[in-house]
Amino acid sequence: MTISSNQVSRMLALVPYLRNRGEIPVDDVARDFGVPVKQIVKDLSILWFCGLPNAYPGDMISIDMDALKIDGVVKLSDADFLPKPSRFSPYEALALIVALRTIRASATPDQAHIIDTALAKLEEVCGDVAGAPVDVHVEAADPQIQSTLEAALANKVRVAIRYTTPARDEENEREIDPVRMFTAQGRLFCEAWCYLADDVRIFRLDRILSAEATQTPTAPHDLERRDLSEDLFGVSEDTAWAILDLQPAAYWLAEYYTIESLGEPVDGVWRVKMFATGMEWMRRLVLKNAGAVTVVEPHVLAEDVATHARLALSAYDGNNLKSEE
Amino acid sequence: MNLVIALLVTRQFVSKEQIRDSVAGYSGDGVDVGSFDRMFERDKKELRELGIMIETGSNEAFFEDEKGYRIRRDEFELADILFTSEEAAVVGLAARVWQHAGLAAESSNAILKLKAAGIAVDPNALTMVEPQLSADEPSFDRMWEAATQQIPVTFAYQRPGQQPEARRVEPWGLFSWHGRWYMAGFDLEREAERVFRLSRVHKEVSFAGTPGSYTIPEGVDLRQIAQALFPAPAIDAATIRVRRGRCQDLRRQSETTKRVDDQWDEITVAYASPWQLASEIASFGPDAVAIAPGDVREQVVAKLRSVLSAEGAA
Repeated sequence: MTISSNQVSRMLALVPYLRNRGEIPVDDVARDFGVPVKQIVKDLSILWFCGLPNAYPGDMISIDMDALKIDGVVKLSDADFLPKPSRFSPYEALALIVALRTIRASATPDQAHIIDTALAKLEEVCGDVAGAPVDVHVEAADPQIQSTLEAALANKVRVAIRYTTPARDEENEREIDPVRMFTAQGRLFCEAWCYLADDVRIFRLDRILSAEATQTPTAPHDLERRDLSEDLFGVSEDTAWAILDLQPAAYWLAEYYTIESLGEPVDGVWRVKMFATGMEWMRRLVLKNAGAVTVVEPHVLAEDVATHARLALSAYDGNNLKSEE
Repeated sequence: MNLVIALLVTRQFVSKEQIRDSVAGYSGDGVDVGSFDRMFERDKKELRELGIMIETGSNEAFFEDEKGYRIRRDEFELADILFTSEEAAVVGLAARVWQHAGLAAESSNAILKLKAAGIAVDPNALTMVEPQLSADEPSFDRMWEAATQQIPVTFAYQRPGQQPEARRVEPWGLFSWHGRWYMAGFDLEREAERVFRLSRVHKEVSFAGTPGSYTIPEGVDLRQIAQALFPAPAIDAATIRVRRGRCQDLRRQSETTKRVDDQWDEITVAYASPWQLASEIASFGPDAVAIAPGDVREQVVAKLRSVLSAEGAA
C-alpha cells in the first residue's frame, strides 16, 4: 500500500486532532481538513493498522468503525504515542507568517495589536524562518471609514457613503449593504449591494469620502461568492479599447494597465492596444501622459483629446502667463 | 506512518534491521532486502520534506558502525501555543490569504496542525478585511525559494519594450506593493543594491549557488528599500482651480477647498514633483486650471500644447 506524503502529513495531524476532541462527526473532520468525507474514511482505515512496532493489541490505534459506519462519528483511542501534531515545515511556517503579515498590513490600528501578539506567538515556534525577508504593503485607508464599514458588516446595517467614481469623475451619495471587505492589488475594497445601482458593486476604500452607519438592517442579498479580481481587472467584450503609440517615457504604462503589444517598437515608438473602463478615463490617461502617448484609434478619442487640450489651454490665454508666441 | 511512530516512541537508536523486522509494511511476502532499502530511503526522504528530522547515531560510542535511527520527540512535536480567541480567529483568516496554490496549501497545512493541537480556529469570529495575496509572476516560485534561503540567482530581466539583459543577484528579500512582487538584492555585476520587478524577470531563474551562500548585510531594511516605490514627501503646495463636482482625484488630495463662484472651487494640493502634479492637472482638461506656482502652471501649458502639436503632426 503506497501512501502519499500529503496523506502522511494529514494523518499525522489527524491523530492528535481526534485525540483532542473525543467524539466528532466525520463531516466536521472533513470540513476542518478541507477534504471529502471519503478521504477521511480512507485515512482512518489506514490508521487502524498503525501503531507501535511489534504491536500487541492495545499498541495499535483503535477506531470505532461501527460508530463511523452507522452514526458517522469518529472515535479514536490508544494513540497516546502521538499526542501532538508535528512542527511546521519551513515552507508552512513561511506561508503562514507572510499571510499574517498581509492581514497586519490591511488591519485598522485597533486590530493591529491582536495580529502582532498572534504573530509573536507563532514566530516563537517557527524558529529560523521567523525573520523571513518578505514584506507586504497594503495602501492604508481612512481607519474610521474602514472601522465603520467593518462594524456595519458585523451588525448587518446599511451604510450611507459619499463615493467618487474615477471612470466618470463624479462624486455621489449612495446607500450600501456591505457584503465583505477584501484587498486586491494592495488596496482595500468593500463589496456591497448598492441601492443606487440596484446591484452588487465594488468600492475602493480610499475613494469613499465619508461613511455613516444607518439604523436600517441590511436586506438579504442572494450573492454568489465570485472571483472579484476578474470583475475588477478583467477584459471582456464590453471593455473600451484604443490603439496608442507610446514613446519610451510611457512604456511603463504596459506594466500598470491592460495592454496588448501590437509589435516591436519602431524608432522608439511602440504601438499598443490598451483596455480601460471607459473612453473618458482613456482621454484623461492620454492628457496625463501628453507628449509620450498619442492616439491612433479611434478617431473620436483623438478628437476628444484635442478638444479638451484646446479648451484647457484657453484658460491660460493672456492672464498672468507669458505668451510664448 | 508506522515508521514515524516507531522512530518516535524509541529513546534508543533503532537499527535498519530492527526497523525492517518490526515496522508493519516493511516485511512480509514479496519484500526482499532491495525493495526494503528503496522503500526505507523513499520514506526517509518524504519525512524530511515534511520537516520531520530523523536523527542518525549510535547507542554505543565504541561501535560507531552500528548506525541507528530515531526521531526526537522534542524536535518532532509542535510546541504549545496559547492563543486568545481573537488571535485564533486572525490566524484562521490566514488560510484564505494566499491566492497562490502552493503557498495556500502550505498555510492551510500549518493551520491544520494548529487545529490538531486543539486550537479553535474560526475565521468567522471576527469581522475584518479579508486580504488576498496573489503571486502570478512566472518567476515567483524560484525567487521565493532563492530569497528565503539566500541562494544567488541569475536571470534575464526585461523592461517593457526593451531587450532582456542578464543579471546576477544575491536576493535579500521580496516585497509586495500594489499587488506586485519585487525583489531587492545585491546586483553582483553592478556591485550595488537594486530592486527588480518580478513581472520583468523571465521564468527561468537559475540558482548560482547553494542555500546560505551569502548573508544579508546588517541593517538592510526591506521596508526602507520599498519606500523608493512610494511617492516622495511633499515639498510645496499648489493652488488649483477645479470645476465644481469634478476633478475627484485632485480633490481627494486637497488640503483646503474654497468656493470661488457657482462654477469653480479653489483647492490647495501638496506635491513633491511639479511635473507629476502638472500631469494630473492636465489630465482633467478644462476642468482644472493651475494657478500657482508658476512652474506647475507652465508645465501644464507645455503638456497641453504637446498634445496639439502631436495631433498636428499626425
